[in-house]
Amino acid sequence: MRSILVRAVLAGLLAGLSGLASAHHSFSMFDQTKQVTIVGKVTEVQWTNPHVWIFLDAAPKEGGKADHWGVEFTSKVHLTRRGFSEDMVKVGDAVEFVINPYANGKPGGRFVAVKMANGTYYCDVGQAAMAFCQNDKK
Amino acid sequence: MKTKFMALTALGLAIAAGVLLAQPGKPGKVRPINPSNAEKVSYAELDQLPDWRGIWQPNLGQIGGDQPQLLGKYKKHYEEERAKVAANPHYEIPEKVNNCEPPGMPTMMTMPYSLEFVFAPGKIIVNQEAEMMVRRIYTDGRSLPKDDDIDPNYFGYSVGHWEGQTLVVDTIGTRAGQRLGEPGITNSDKLRINERIYLDKDNKNLLHLDYTFTDPNVLAQPWHRNHTFRRDRTWEILEYVCDENNRHPIDANGQTQAAF
Repeated sequence: MRSILVRAVLAGLLAGLSGLASAHHSFSMFDQTKQVTIVGKVTEVQWTNPHVWIFLDAAPKEGGKADHWGVEFTSKVHLTRRGFSEDMVKVGDAVEFVINPYANGKPGGRFVAVKMANGTYYCDVGQAAMAFCQNDKK
Repeated sequence: MKTKFMALTALGLAIAAGVLLAQPGKPGKVRPINPSNAEKVSYAELDQLPDWRGIWQPNLGQIGGDQPQLLGKYKKHYEEERAKVAANPHYEIPEKVNNCEPPGMPTMMTMPYSLEFVFAPGKIIVNQEAEMMVRRIYTDGRSLPKDDDIDPNYFGYSVGHWEGQTLVVDTIGTRAGQRLGEPGITNSDKLRINERIYLDKDNKNLLHLDYTFTDPNVLAQPWHRNHTFRRDRTWEILEYVCDENNRHPIDANGQTQAAF
């Protein structure tokens, strides 16, 4: 009985990762095996549901051409509860974003962490994001 | 003055006629007033109910229960979809929720957003923050309708009663093809959902939702799932309009497109 429960919990966990943790689309469009850091200036903030978006003119820190990037956050609802507010990243700010890039190569991806204009970080709540902010950012 | 009165009367009759015409049911059939909609109801009964105030956030990834014993084409579909996901991490199981369509029951109770329960005489309103879904559970003693009397819909038809401090709810009439439990499993129009919702006996800020899904077309035997929620008294439900800024179109294969 216990093993059934454990399996069910595991199945629930996997399901949570693949679909249930999202109220909208799954995370399948992102390459979650990769993290890309982009450096540039914010051009637009869309403080909306189902996702908050921040756009920037930026280039990969590791090298690559400049482009117009879109960073996709979770919803306005979740960000509000997690202490991220609309005025923390503003148009014109010089920032660094860490993202899981789109698998199809388009210039954008899922938010992992941001080094804001004042030099402090805000990180997403996922394991990879927390690992980045605890270990990698320095 | 008289003309104005007559105009208002005519307007009132027109509105009344419109209301009558807009109601479902057979023409000329006199429908009884539901007890929960009566002119006078007792709010005192609400004092006997447990304190479920605040909002309830799901404990994601902590789902207990047993494995579904799927049947026939539903088993085949689930296995095919899981195989596609295993073969390609960028494959997304097609679901209407990916296109901002509300998932309805039973998924609305276990989304990664908050629930709110509003107790009223004879009914309980459940608000799900995600996609601003609303569900009504009638607790005025009515019976479930016959299957044939329900036009299948997203949330089905729910009737509940209290067994001590446990809310017991039965739901039928959900649309076929909605998510049942997890992506890739769908229900038929014979789905019956039984819920037992109660506060943890040792922790009043923990709410249990025990599901039993019964569907003779989909499941060889009833499927039990157990979810829990933690209370937050500091927040209210926040607005979430999925179509406010949905930048991801769905292609013909139900795959979310990374485009903006």
